[in-house]
Amino acid sequence: MAATATPGPKVNRIGLPVLEYRGGKTTLCAGCGHNAISERIIDALYEMGVQPERVMKLSGIGCSSKSPAYFLSRAHSFNSVHGRMPSVATGALLANRTMMGLGVSGDGDTASIGIGQFVHLMRRNLNLIYIIEDNGVYGLTKGQFSATADIGSKLKTGVVNDLPAIDTCSLAIQLGATFVGRSFSGDKKQLLTMLKAAMAHKGTVMLDVISPCVTFNDHEGSTRSYKYMQDHEEPVGEVGFVPSFEEIDVEYEEGSSFDVEMHDGSHLRLKKLPENYDPTDRAVAVRTLMEAHENNEILTGVFYIDTQKPAFTDLLNLVDEPLALLPQSRTRPPKKVLDEVMSKHL
Amino acid sequence: MNHTFSIGIGGAAGQGVATPGDIFAKIFSRRGLHLNAYNAYQSIIRGGHTFLTIRAGVDPVTNMGDTIDLLIPLNQDTMDRHLRLLGRGGACIYNADTIKPGEHADGVQLCALPVSTLADITKNKVAQNTLAIGAALSMMGIGFQALEDVIREQFGKKAPAVADENIAVARAGYDYATQHFQAFARPLPMTDKKYAVLSGNTALAMGGAAAGVKFYSAYPMSPSTGVLHWFATHGRKAGIMVRQVEDEIGVVNMAIGAAHAGVRAMCATSGGGFALMSEALGLSAMAEIPIVVIDCMRAGPSTGVPTKTEQGDLWQMLGAAFGDYPRVIAAPLDIADCFTLIPEIFNVVDKFQVPGLVLCDLLLSEGRLSVDPSVLNFAPPVDRGEMITAPNGHAEGGYKRYLITDSGVSPRAIPGIPGYTHVVSSDEHDEDGVLISDMFTNHAKRRAMMEKRMRKEQGIAAAVPPPTLQGPADADVTLIGWGSTQGVIEEARAQLAEQGITANQLQIRWLAPLHGDAILDLLKNAKRTIIVENNYSGQFARYLRSETSFVADGHIRKYDGEPFMPHHIVDAVREQLAGDVTLSVPSHEVMV
Repeated sequence: MAATATPGPKVNRIGLPVLEYRGGKTTLCAGCGHNAISERIIDALYEMGVQPERVMKLSGIGCSSKSPAYFLSRAHSFNSVHGRMPSVATGALLANRTMMGLGVSGDGDTASIGIGQFVHLMRRNLNLIYIIEDNGVYGLTKGQFSATADIGSKLKTGVVNDLPAIDTCSLAIQLGATFVGRSFSGDKKQLLTMLKAAMAHKGTVMLDVISPCVTFNDHEGSTRSYKYMQDHEEPVGEVGFVPSFEEIDVEYEEGSSFDVEMHDGSHLRLKKLPENYDPTDRAVAVRTLMEAHENNEILTGVFYIDTQKPAFTDLLNLVDEPLALLPQSRTRPPKKVLDEVMSKHL
Repeated sequence: MNHTFSIGIGGAAGQGVATPGDIFAKIFSRRGLHLNAYNAYQSIIRGGHTFLTIRAGVDPVTNMGDTIDLLIPLNQDTMDRHLRLLGRGGACIYNADTIKPGEHADGVQLCALPVSTLADITKNKVAQNTLAIGAALSMMGIGFQALEDVIREQFGKKAPAVADENIAVARAGYDYATQHFQAFARPLPMTDKKYAVLSGNTALAMGGAAAGVKFYSAYPMSPSTGVLHWFATHGRKAGIMVRQVEDEIGVVNMAIGAAHAGVRAMCATSGGGFALMSEALGLSAMAEIPIVVIDCMRAGPSTGVPTKTEQGDLWQMLGAAFGDYPRVIAAPLDIADCFTLIPEIFNVVDKFQVPGLVLCDLLLSEGRLSVDPSVLNFAPPVDRGEMITAPNGHAEGGYKRYLITDSGVSPRAIPGIPGYTHVVSSDEHDEDGVLISDMFTNHAKRRAMMEKRMRKEQGIAAAVPPPTLQGPADADVTLIGWGSTQGVIEEARAQLAEQGITANQLQIRWLAPLHGDAILDLLKNAKRTIIVENNYSGQFARYLRSETSFVADGHIRKYDGEPFMPHHIVDAVREQLAGDVTLSVPSHEVMV
């Protein structure tokens, strides 16, 4: 019996169409940078062929933290409280190390109310992709400055920000994150490449994605507007990524390029880097960021990568299977251990 | 009445008060004696005043008691503070080289040890302590071997020479006392029982292990730190993930994350840390993720008196986090109950997917008690409630994490199961977890979800037993207490009985749900009710009144940082029965 296969929708390497990676309809403002980031996350998950159920989406509170609802409906999602996602994520990923943690936060959620949690999360090098959808303002409470807003930038009302910005990338590099970069929601290619590379990394990925707020921070005098980004975005180099399941077919240029083999055999390729720029040297990365800031440039790209430092879960003597799935016989300490403990009290 | 023997050992922090305490505790428990130890100390690493009371007897010893039989002052300050409290038949063993006795009652034996002639004090810095322990053993009529065994254990195989040297010093003290001091009138008895000696913090931690806790997170805070120490010491071997976190906000959210992934997660703190946790308790309730948080209460408000006890956090528990939500609150009655309560409360919170709060206090957390090892059930029943850890075929038609049910409990799927993925949210949400106030607020759904969660209270009330009345039904007075005052009220009742006053006792272990109707029923025939609590405002009295309209006849309250002694309650009850006093605030006679 001859049958002609009906051409189905295009599928990825695990046989899923891109539709399976989509989420609910966004309720954010039209033109919000966050929606573009959600789109890139969908593309990256699809292209990397990630099993949706293996993903744990995590977020705090704010416009950014609503966005996990707008991608990958087939994954589990935890919309926690303001600024507390890092510790919820840590607990959840320690109890189930087999999940892929994908955290979405905002600049208020991260750099103000959640700065303490953020700082300690970066120290842990937990297996987590931490994305800051960074627009420099609080959207849901109608446009107050956040702690990533540049000094001297202006609100629509004319209020001038009188405090220096916290550079979450410098901070993350200093504190121990092992994959740190900045991108722009409007830079489709760079953002997609960085997200795909992030999914291949083992350890904490910190991506600060400048994502203009069209309602409260897209005007003249803002340093987080589309216009400002077009004029001041300065890529540190070109980011390329070859996933482990694709063949490496392009020779890369020596000298200004840097090829990093990642944990799963993928390759991160940084091309056209400034002279002497070494993305495995944190001092160089931090100095370059500080210099760019002084020149009023918003540097993007992958600034720092370390594939050698062990991930948090590898340091903790954890069993391979999720703690959450251990049978009851293994959830209590063995009798031998308890007897030994008790003997000290007798 | 139970005959007991009490030793008080005092000195500056760093002088080694703890070691003699541990040695006595071991010797007593191995003689089959019950014991209770309470250490009064200060927030200082070196110096200050530390005073350890160890009380032993054949029958259970539930509290520190009223008197000291043997005083061992390691410095002049301790001698000056405590000697006057010894009564006839008591004794004081001290270093005659450095300490001078002061005023004392008739019939107190002053046992001066010539420390520098009995031991080489240049070699052994704690010679006075070791000599005093040896002398004390002799006077208590205990054979030297018991002490030798404990000293040998303490130094282990690593330092046999040090052990030998200390044994020789202890022996010198023992022999000197046999020749020069009068033994106590009653030698310390011996039974064939064997008890374990546990602190409340150790018991809380071991109770957690027995309950199957797989995740413990904490920030160090007195007096809860002992729980963290236990987990840090034994966690790896016991297969428990233990994290010291940057602050209590991180602590509790991490526990919620772990519990959300499917493990039993617990954390312990004190009042100040608990204050930081309240936000997350709302998350636990809203997201319906069960966790257990222990508050080892110390005297507040604010930093308060970090090393002193109080029952002052009840209203913080009752009011923690904004909004209405079901919660379970329990207070262990003694140190053994610190162990027993944890598996019990985990079963309740798992079944109803709510936060569970344990109100312990410094008195239990840092006190030590002899516990019959057979009451420590390391394999208590574990009921994780309706949990989905593998596809069960019921996901067709869409799994709803917050399905509206009669019980208010919705089957809980852990993350990672295909067909059961869902959204967990701190925002109010629909049955499938989707926010209901994003585009417009659906008030009918909001109401339905509130009612669903609050319906759990009925199930929780049925799952938790109501309190019972201890003692004679027709007593002259009914003493009402909660948590850690169980033992001291019990002993006060026995003392009152000897004085011709019958008293019974209503001791509350489960604070929420409170079982108000059952309490009213128990109290309806009470002749006179007095509420005893370790706080200023009568937090439990106010709670009981708010829930039941019950107003007690009198109150005994203490908020000076120290726990009740039995006579404080006895004197206050007599005072209230004799006149029109309705509030007694006993004063602590000794400055510790």
